Amino acid sequence: MSYWRSLRELHGEQGVTEQKAHEFMAGVTDKFDPSELSAISRKQFLAMLTASAAFAAAGCTDYRDKGEIVPYTKRPEEVIPGIANYYASTCDACAQSCGILIKTREGRPVKVDGNPDHPINKGKTCAIGQAHILDLYDPARLRQPRGKENVPVRWSDVDVAVIDALRRASAAGKEIALISHAVHSPSVRRLFDDFKKKYPTASFYFYDVNNSEPRRTAWEALTGSAEIPVIRWEDANVILALESDFLGTEGITMEQIRSFASRRDIMKSPDFNRLYCVESAMSLTGANSDHRFRLRPDAQREFVLALLNEIATVRRVGAIPAEVKQFVESTSLKKFAARFELPLPQLMRLVDDLLRHPEKSLVVAGDVLPASVHAAVFVLNDILSARRLYAAETDVVYSRLSSSNAIETMVARMLSGAVAVIIHLDTNPVFHFPAAIGYEAALKNVPVSVCMSRGENETSSVCTYSLPLHHAYESWGDFHVRTGVYSFRQPVIAPLYDTRQKEAVLLTWLGTEHYSDSIYRQYLMKHWETEIFPALKRPVGFKSFWHAALHDGVIAVNEIAPPVKPFKIAAVAALPQPHVADGYTLLLTGSHYVGDGRFAGNGWLQELPHPISKIVWDNYAALAPMTAKELGVASNDMIQVTTVAGTQSLPVFVQPGMAEHVITMSMGYGRWHAGPIGTGVGTAVAPLLQKDTLMAGGVVPITGVKKTGVTYELVSTQEHHALDDAFLKDLHLKRNIICEGTVELYAKDPEFLHHERPQEMSITRNIEYAGVKWAMAIDLNKCVACNACVAGCNVENNIPVVGKDQVRRGREMQWIRIDRYYAGTPEAPTLSHQPMLCQHCDNAPCENVCPVVATTHSPDGLNQMTYNRCVGTKYCSNNCPYKVRRFNFYNFRHELSDGYYEQDPVGLVHNPEVTVRSRGVMEKCSFCVQRIMEARQHAAEQGRSLAGSDVHTACQAACPAEAIVFGDMNDPSSSVSHYRKHNLGYNVLEEVNARPNVTYVARLRNVDETPVNG
Amino acid sequence: MKKSLLDYTLKIRLPIFLFVAVLSFILTYFFSRAERDGVGYAPQQPIAFSHKLHAGTMGIDCKYCHTGVTVSRHATIPAVSVCMNCHSVVRKAKPEIIKLTKAFESGVALPWKRVHKVPEYVYFNHSVHVNKGVPCAQCHGKVEAMDVVSQVSELTMASCINCHRNAPQVLAGIPGIKNGPDNCAACHR
Repeated sequence: MSYWRSLRELHGEQGVTEQKAHEFMAGVTDKFDPSELSAISRKQFLAMLTASAAFAAAGCTDYRDKGEIVPYTKRPEEVIPGIANYYASTCDACAQSCGILIKTREGRPVKVDGNPDHPINKGKTCAIGQAHILDLYDPARLRQPRGKENVPVRWSDVDVAVIDALRRASAAGKEIALISHAVHSPSVRRLFDDFKKKYPTASFYFYDVNNSEPRRTAWEALTGSAEIPVIRWEDANVILALESDFLGTEGITMEQIRSFASRRDIMKSPDFNRLYCVESAMSLTGANSDHRFRLRPDAQREFVLALLNEIATVRRVGAIPAEVKQFVESTSLKKFAARFELPLPQLMRLVDDLLRHPEKSLVVAGDVLPASVHAAVFVLNDILSARRLYAAETDVVYSRLSSSNAIETMVARMLSGAVAVIIHLDTNPVFHFPAAIGYEAALKNVPVSVCMSRGENETSSVCTYSLPLHHAYESWGDFHVRTGVYSFRQPVIAPLYDTRQKEAVLLTWLGTEHYSDSIYRQYLMKHWETEIFPALKRPVGFKSFWHAALHDGVIAVNEIAPPVKPFKIAAVAALPQPHVADGYTLLLTGSHYVGDGRFAGNGWLQELPHPISKIVWDNYAALAPMTAKELGVASNDMIQVTTVAGTQSLPVFVQPGMAEHVITMSMGYGRWHAGPIGTGVGTAVAPLLQKDTLMAGGVVPITGVKKTGVTYELVSTQEHHALDDAFLKDLHLKRNIICEGTVELYAKDPEFLHHERPQEMSITRNIEYAGVKWAMAIDLNKCVACNACVAGCNVENNIPVVGKDQVRRGREMQWIRIDRYYAGTPEAPTLSHQPMLCQHCDNAPCENVCPVVATTHSPDGLNQMTYNRCVGTKYCSNNCPYKVRRFNFYNFRHELSDGYYEQDPVGLVHNPEVTVRSRGVMEKCSFCVQRIMEARQHAAEQGRSLAGSDVHTACQAACPAEAIVFGDMNDPSSSVSHYRKHNLGYNVLEEVNARPNVTYVARLRNVDETPVNG
Repeated sequence: MKKSLLDYTLKIRLPIFLFVAVLSFILTYFFSRAERDGVGYAPQQPIAFSHKLHAGTMGIDCKYCHTGVTVSRHATIPAVSVCMNCHSVVRKAKPEIIKLTKAFESGVALPWKRVHKVPEYVYFNHSVHVNKGVPCAQCHGKVEAMDVVSQVSELTMASCINCHRNAPQVLAGIPGIKNGPDNCAACHR
């Protein structure tokens, strides 16, 4: 047996055997020679050491360096360090184009809220609009143009090369393809036209992943106009939503949520609207509905026809146009209900309800449904006289989306070499287009390809040039999304990097002038001055008009949309009719927080829990419990889904309330080139899509589903407790965490909530609060659980992103969360939502157990958290009945993705008024104490006393439903004290007697309680 | 009984060692107190600006340069353009003014060393205090007598609280002054 000490020895390498022959290493046995040693003696060495230490010590001062203050050389007049400036602009995160107010401190944007003067979003922004600010400071942003093989190039060289390529392509008659998202700007439209004039072979293609193209197609077929009238949601008494998530991901959500919630305002009137949902997915709208039916998406058209039949043929309301008679008469509600196992009596009651409110009932179909359903819905709405709910304004279309045929033809031309230049204007078709189109392969066949984007993406990684773009807050622009409403975008910070805005790049490529910082601003102003301003007939000069318009961010213009033409019903029959499949169906839903994938690199958005499943950092295949049983899968099992287009594996999430044999999947995930945060989060849907899926709805027949045997871990912030566990079932109702009633019950017995008051036993003495005492009320009737409050709080209070792994351990840091509770059966549950934040209890249990008095009460009723005193025992969190305290187990900014959010320039996003917490301290909602203090300071400056209405917390400011009210409970006239005294007001876990200062207003479901026949 | 080495070590060497260690700690702690609080900190500034000359001899009001002090949390160091209000005419040939003019013309910002600083987790607002009539010298000392600005007060929590709790005594010169808030969130948030 041979032993060996190293692999070299084992393999008998040369030198090893030789070495082994000697006892000592070479040189060890040589004679000692003092003359070879260093000339410095030991004593000399020590003397030098001492001397240098003494010198070093003498050079030190004992004072700690306190850094530098670097004032402006020439201070801009409007900037005072320490005081925020607000600029009006327009959000470009999605097609809604909301007006925003950007708060800047010392020239850097730190917070964004809605522009109250904007007539559409009225001072509100969604979660994406709130968190979009992080993208400005994203370390993964491209900082300079790059050419082939990622070599940095100069803009001037790119300009020369591309202009040359464009000229040659134009001369050779080869196509120049420009791929853009839908345009909402008059100036950009003009620019595109100018580009087309200069390069006649240019052709523009428009696409959007989340679009309402089917609805537009239907409307255009019926009326000849692509511009759809705006709906006055607040006037609808009965709304029937067909697979439509109008409170979540579709349409102008800010306006829709506001208008919908305004009809659920118990302070104004108990005359609530009623929402019916017929859907397969468990959408946010479905969660907020009063009645919900489960129906697979491909049966929706038949459902609308059955409704038409019932209403027009059986009930004889309105007349069915002759052209659709044949469709309608072949079905009936009775047959339909039997076929799809829906409760007929309840459906009949729905019809009664629709008819009981003529001119006030509205049917809406979801973006995912095909045009033929939308057309049938428009006809049905006409019969219900829902036209009265259409406003005079319409949306404005500057670019129709390209048909899937047009895209396919383009790809064929790319393959045949007929396309010489392709320019992606902030679009990412390699990721977005259905894989079946084969876009990526075709792109490689185009000699010059350009991708403009803020960060690296799937398309930029295969293009010749990858050009970095400005963030919206660095750009100019104008927007026109609705008749009579124009809004403006202005830069609020100088470009952080060597970037340009895409309009300026195109302008430069027209070849008439060289690039300058103001090139697009001048173009924009000129367009307004010559094309739009004269028609406005303003009594002031253009300069004054322009500055006023930029200051306000939005202008109202006296525009009149053409009246809606009578329907051409024959067109309905011509639309392609969907086929009801027998097997499984895939339904693609819009992502709530990552958009079409463009926000994948935004940690704040990835970590916002899905409003229903509460899953973070992932998408998944949602299945009904029975369907999951049928397939033999449970949550976290991977399944392989096959459609005619392709195959994709993804994790299962068993979602109560879904329709059977339907798989829903959210788009926008599965990016493979999205920087350190977004890469590899979730699964891409592109391989499953048919070529026409994106433009014709989101329903795809599934040809096969099978379990792969692999498991995965989905992470959610709230597990849903077992619905069949006798102890846990409806615990939230038994413990009065959620108190609910119905509108009818409330009408009969307004005091129903407080018949039993819990006995309150106190071991502490009551403290009198003189002066202002802060309190919050949250109206659960209005809250739709959109998460805008959570995102707003994240930005305002410097909440870190912790990452999927830490969320798995329950260490998410959000100060406000929205709890979701299920009641009823797993098949047809009812959902309740409840925003939960620090309740600022008068008898706060956390305060009693803190050993270092780091959490205390203020004289104005705030439960304060003093970070520098906290030693991290976590006793407070353990003693909190509401579980709203968050502990910094790490310095999460350092911990996530190798300190990604510690890199420059992320620090600039922090609110300078709020401490950035480090590892080892507890934190929680402070009721935005920095805003309270600021209001107090202003009140003192103006020599008046502080009023409760002076303060708006970040969550309150963000809430599009205006469900959150904040103010002084000691002021009897304040709105918060009205809520506290309201019959429906209650505190969570009242019996604990912690005396919370957050009051919840019990939700009233507006269920139709008329007895059903049969 | 013979005394062992251990006895000697425990009874004599150890107490002496402990006494010396504790004494030196106490002395160091006591004498370095000022330095730890930053009292006496007078760093060299990029331009040898004399407050004694400007604020003392010439009597320029603090607020002429520190414009933020009545409106903002920061007193603000003046922009170079404020200096140039006078120095575009006055004493242009002096070496320090040449430095200043250069900075103004080139637009390169001047990195002033910070003298007064409260920790990051403390919120202090100048305007609130100044508008109540608290004199600058209450915290900053007699700046008008300093050629090089140095820190005079400790700026510790104790010094803040001392005023907030005993304002009528400490700030007897201000009629009707009330105590400041002494809840945590007044400064920590």
